Amino acid sequence: MKSLKSIFSFVIPLTAMLITFAIFLFTTKVVDDYKLKISNDYSIVVVSNKALIKENLNEFAGIKVKNIVTLEKNKIISNIKENLSPKSIKLLIQKLPFFYKIHLDKFPTTSQLKQIKNEIMQLPNIKKVEIFSKNHNQIYLLLLLIQKIIAIVFFVVLVYAVIIISKQIKIWFYEQHEKITIMRFHGASILYSAGSVIKHAIFGAILAFIIVAVLIIALNENLSIIFPPELQSVVDIKLSIKEELIKMFILSLFISITTIIGVLFKYKLKND
Amino acid sequence: MITANEIYLSYDKNRFIIKKGSLHIREKEFIFIGGNSGSGKSTLIKSLYGDIGLKHGDLFVDGMKMKDVSSTNLRKLRRNIGIIFQDYKLVNEWTIEENIMLPLKINGYSNDISKKQALNLLSHVKLSHRKGFKPNQLSGGEQQRVAVARALAHNPKIIIADEPTGNLDDYSAEVVWNLLRGANEQLGITVVVVTHRVPRNFGIKFRQLSIEDGIIYEVS
Repeated sequence: MKSLKSIFSFVIPLTAMLITFAIFLFTTKVVDDYKLKISNDYSIVVVSNKALIKENLNEFAGIKVKNIVTLEKNKIISNIKENLSPKSIKLLIQKLPFFYKIHLDKFPTTSQLKQIKNEIMQLPNIKKVEIFSKNHNQIYLLLLLIQKIIAIVFFVVLVYAVIIISKQIKIWFYEQHEKITIMRFHGASILYSAGSVIKHAIFGAILAFIIVAVLIIALNENLSIIFPPELQSVVDIKLSIKEELIKMFILSLFISITTIIGVLFKYKLKND
Repeated sequence: MITANEIYLSYDKNRFIIKKGSLHIREKEFIFIGGNSGSGKSTLIKSLYGDIGLKHGDLFVDGMKMKDVSSTNLRKLRRNIGIIFQDYKLVNEWTIEENIMLPLKINGYSNDISKKQALNLLSHVKLSHRKGFKPNQLSGGEQQRVAVARALAHNPKIIIADEPTGNLDDYSAEVVWNLLRGANEQLGITVVVVTHRVPRNFGIKFRQLSIEDGIIYEVS
């Protein structure tokens, strides 16, 4: 019972940390997916006095240009065509500047948008650039904010988890001190002597991983129950569960082993 | 095997437990170290397996310089020493068989060989029938017999014993002396024993040292 209690003192903070990490991975995936979705619908309109050489325009503000579409002048004047004579239409087409729609590879942030506008304006013969900054997606900004908040929460939980599990490892060392001392008197290395503590910690790390893995698989199967219908389009992402679980398993073992090494090192310094 | 030249040992800066202590113990010798309580006997033998550091002087144990000895070298040295503590220092969560197997496992012996050797030693200390017992299920005398068996298990070069019969009844004390005598006489192990009382008619050649006020004297 006592040993179960001490294992859970180790497992609970580790589980909390892994859950926060899973939420962080999930929001990152949602934001990336949403970014891709809206970047397909988003474009910048450029008006130029002369035809642009598309091949020279590969990147703006570090974002790759996906494609540049030339807007047909005939289509632009189609609404006013009926009121004009063929001669006027021909003249208008000759006088009209060139219109382009630039599609980007990634959805830009507000600051990137400003930079893009500046870069395009510096090109020769550019008359106007419309970046539609007012329409810049509010949901996207909100998602970015949530992602940042979760990253901070994950960091704070990580620090607390490390502090709590290192305290638990110290308790295990204290409980095993007599045994470790006896083993060291017989020439055992600190790693060999602390074998039972290391086993406890690795068992705890695996247990925490299993708990979180079961939770994630269950949640992934029931996303529609958790999120309201209006959010379905936002959270409708394909999670690579296998990949996420591998990341979590590595993190769980990494945090446990790093903390043990830290406590072990301190213990060795104190007792040698 | 063990040489100390004007060593000073202390737990704090102000008081030296051993002052200017010198001794020379040859291979295969049997040494008794006597002296009053608090004279520094235990401190001296603790320095032999590196449990207390030297303040001044030189100490060599099995060719190893003990001053500023590295942890790797100290581990190597300890693997060649069998230590018997007054308070036995057995691991209570293990069986007595597992306790005896400990130095063998640390020295890299397989589980089968360690087990075989442990059973052999348990029969020598007349505790074969209790091999599955935990130390706290045994009497003090029985626990000390297990501790002696553990010290002998890996056939060390040196055995260091701190009051091995201090808390024992006559029968257990006799078993312990017989084992230490046998280790020295038959296996050629150097034995250093701290004791208040040197047994009468010990039966083998030994040398006796005494510590008074932190100074080591040769008695016989």
